[in-house]
Amino acid sequence: MALLQSAQESALGIGSAQRSGPFAQWVSRNAAILLLGLFMILFPAIANDFFLRQIAGWTMILGMIALSLTFLAGYGGMVSLAQMTVAGLAGYMIAVLGVSSLPKVSLFWPWWAAVPLAIVIATAFGTLAGALSARTEGIYTIMITLALATSFFYLTLQNWPIFNGFSGFTTIPAPHFLGVDWGKAVPLYYLILFFAALSYAVVLYVSRAPFGLALQGVRDNPRRMEAIGYNVTAHRIAAYAFAAVIAAIGGILLVWQNNQISPFSVGVDVVINLLIIAVVGGLGHPIGPFIGALIYVMLRTFALDALVAVGLDGRRFQTLIGLGFLVIVLFSPDGVVGIWRRLRERARSSQRTSRR
Amino acid sequence: MSTVFGEGEAARGGGRTDAFGRWIGHHPIWALIIAVAVIFFVWLVLAPWPAGFEDVLGKKLIFINALFNGITLGGLYFLVATGFTLIFGLMRNVNLAHGSLYLFGGYMGYEAGDLTGSWLFGYVIAFISCAIVGMAMQFLIFRRMEGQDLRQTLVTLGLSIIFSDLMVWVWGGNAIQIDTPDYLEGPVPTPIIVAVKSSGETVFLYYPLVRLVIFAAAVAIGVGMWLALNRTRVGVMIRAGVDDRNMLSVLGYRVQLLFILVFAFGAGLAGMAGIVGGTFQSLSLGEDSHFLLASLVVVIVGGMGSIPGAALGALIIGVSEQIGTVYFQNYSTVLSFLIMVIVLALRPQGLLGRR
Amino acid sequence: MSSIAERMAAAGTGNAIELRGVSRRFGALAALSDVTLSVRPGERRAVLGSNGAGKTTLLNCVTGDFPPTSGTVRFFGEDVTILPPHERIRRGLRRTYQISLLFSRLSVRDNVYLACRGVSRGRFSFIRTRASDGLMQSVADLISLVHLENVAERPVGELAHGQQRQLEIALALAGAPRFILFDEPAAGLSPTERSDLVAILTALPAHIGYIIIEHDMAVALRVVESVTMMHNGRIFKEGTPSEIEADPEVQELYLGSSGHA
Repeated sequence: MALLQSAQESALGIGSAQRSGPFAQWVSRNAAILLLGLFMILFPAIANDFFLRQIAGWTMILGMIALSLTFLAGYGGMVSLAQMTVAGLAGYMIAVLGVSSLPKVSLFWPWWAAVPLAIVIATAFGTLAGALSARTEGIYTIMITLALATSFFYLTLQNWPIFNGFSGFTTIPAPHFLGVDWGKAVPLYYLILFFAALSYAVVLYVSRAPFGLALQGVRDNPRRMEAIGYNVTAHRIAAYAFAAVIAAIGGILLVWQNNQISPFSVGVDVVINLLIIAVVGGLGHPIGPFIGALIYVMLRTFALDALVAVGLDGRRFQTLIGLGFLVIVLFSPDGVVGIWRRLRERARSSQRTSRR
Repeated sequence: MSTVFGEGEAARGGGRTDAFGRWIGHHPIWALIIAVAVIFFVWLVLAPWPAGFEDVLGKKLIFINALFNGITLGGLYFLVATGFTLIFGLMRNVNLAHGSLYLFGGYMGYEAGDLTGSWLFGYVIAFISCAIVGMAMQFLIFRRMEGQDLRQTLVTLGLSIIFSDLMVWVWGGNAIQIDTPDYLEGPVPTPIIVAVKSSGETVFLYYPLVRLVIFAAAVAIGVGMWLALNRTRVGVMIRAGVDDRNMLSVLGYRVQLLFILVFAFGAGLAGMAGIVGGTFQSLSLGEDSHFLLASLVVVIVGGMGSIPGAALGALIIGVSEQIGTVYFQNYSTVLSFLIMVIVLALRPQGLLGRR
Repeated sequence: MSSIAERMAAAGTGNAIELRGVSRRFGALAALSDVTLSVRPGERRAVLGSNGAGKTTLLNCVTGDFPPTSGTVRFFGEDVTILPPHERIRRGLRRTYQISLLFSRLSVRDNVYLACRGVSRGRFSFIRTRASDGLMQSVADLISLVHLENVAERPVGELAHGQQRQLEIALALAGAPRFILFDEPAAGLSPTERSDLVAILTALPAHIGYIIIEHDMAVALRVVESVTMMHNGRIFKEGTPSEIEADPEVQELYLGSSGHA
């Protein structure tokens, strides 16, 4: 069973000699993702505001936050349910430090002061989550991070001085800079696209750097890693810190897109949905969480109509999600990425047989 | 070394008192501090408070009520957490559907009680319906995923989502309260002094009977489980299975049957706890997450796979939650959260857990 | 913490490994009782004994996998009793495991790379290692040393048992080891593979000492200059290979009863 399959990328840059040049090789190997990138860049030309915000924006933001989970779970073997909480904390800090509808709480700092501090605070929390779970056996990580996430939810719900209880914060605008209002649909789309693409590329690259390879070693055999000179606990905590930065940026973009945040942005169901997104997409490759996010967002947007069309109660969306998740865990635990890999393997082996 | 049933100390060759004595010998200062704290606390509870105290700590009535509420809440948490820790201890399955089982049992108990007018009969129905669900889960699904701990946990997650949604469909989003039966209704006098009136008359604490009865029942169940696990053949098998699962199948015991039994029992307990919770508080959507969280925190603090740990953790978390609610309104969950963080930082395996 | 200069100065004067009064209990079971042992830098020693004699526990105490319940462990003069394993490895200690502990989902090259990287700088680096980096050359050298060039890119999970054991040795040779602990390196090897193993061990540079735990006396006695026999968690006898082979007590206790020759 390959639930936490490692990302088997090409060898450390030592490619075999081929007839075409290295750049052409690189393009052909990565054709799919490059085409996707091109499509995403041109997307605003064909899409309206609804598709930009509700579909693409949400997909990329949820994808980013889920990417932080995929990084920890897929490359590190640590299933952390605290990533949505890290993102939510960053979002809350933007509301508290920056502009919102509540002058008695918000500090109204400019965005260039609020954003770094929000990222720092959220990353500190993510690192704390790591420090608390890193010394325990793998299966406890889910429990501990879920407990942390749920505690944070109750904190935001019950606390009024800082988090404004169940009302949360509204009217949180995205900033203006470089003469652009980044809150408008198209600029915000490109801002989100930039960070989503950047986080994807960084995770993919880092996975084969010493940091990423060491993390995979820690996943596969922590005892052996200690015995070849690695401080396993330090590596785990560092991984949490790295993942937290990605989640924090996702959380800030989330708040700029939604213009509001409340306890229900970090509730248990949202936290768990993020895990579902990561698992369904596939934990074995950084594109997995984005695939999972797309599926989730499409379902969430269109499921109501689809369910009603089939004669079922449109409100049973969560049951649908749960069933879909169960199907994946039972029949293809490595998610959509796993299905794709198996299809490619089958295509390759049938190509080989047909060539003989 | 059997961790589930507090056998660790005994197995180290000496018995519990020996280890305790050794600890006092090694840490005389800490032992003194703890002894003083315990004595102070006992005095705080039993004696009437002198005038100055009330100015600082508020009325003793509030404190005592919070304390008793916390202890009885601890009884409820013990019932829920013990099933959770039993399932993990034997099957290494983090059952994230445990909260759903709690809620389901509560709802079923409510319906049964409504139908028959008997509160106690509700417990029977709750236990049976949850046990059946638990058996089905183990037999139909988890049996095929032996050894894949993470995958089993993810399945419980998926199931909890579906269960949760289906329960909303059937019972809606409104809160349901289970009525306390007449024979348990009302407060009873206790020997705890609340205050001394200026006339010299002592005022004693009156506390709801139902909460005392349920706490007593939780203790009885805990003791019963301890006896069952230490004195019966099935209990021995369970303890052996917790220590070394492979040995169990090698010795020829029908491991799967044992798993089904344990899952059913753990689920049934959670279901019965649902009725308790429905009587103490209420049942509604969201309570499944709440009690799953409670199970998680109790077991993290008390120690995974340890039933005495579940009892200790439940007591600590129950009391701290009530104290937090009464004295720190805006930060009530923070106290339990801090306790969990401190335990994780200082002793990651939990207070009574073993690595 | 002593500086590198201090440590290097100490190396020439004292023992590489020194155990004093080391005991290790698991509950009521005493796996090691009051073991005192010294090994000089560059010395090759075998630790022999029947199952349960405490050999692997001894190794675990030296590497730090399990701390001793009492006693001290010194490595090149430095007290490492409470140091975590990774700190000891960075000071030049290495070990292999009785059952290969490898990274089954990574390739052979990645496994060796991790071992080399583990004892050098840049463990947390976010920059990928260039092919021209000296580290990559060391990786390639190690792979050829254990004859695994043909399978260098394959995931370790797909290797044969013998190949995995060879990789296990390669991991212990990474970086600049000063002392290696081999835990039953010949376990499950074919006769050809065993002679390969003997060749690798005898070809190691003279400054690298090692302790080898083995059941296979034929392999063990050919590659060492001194032997420590253990029984029931205690040191039973010490001497040269020929002395131990000829000793009647050893024959009765170990060779005779377990039938290994």
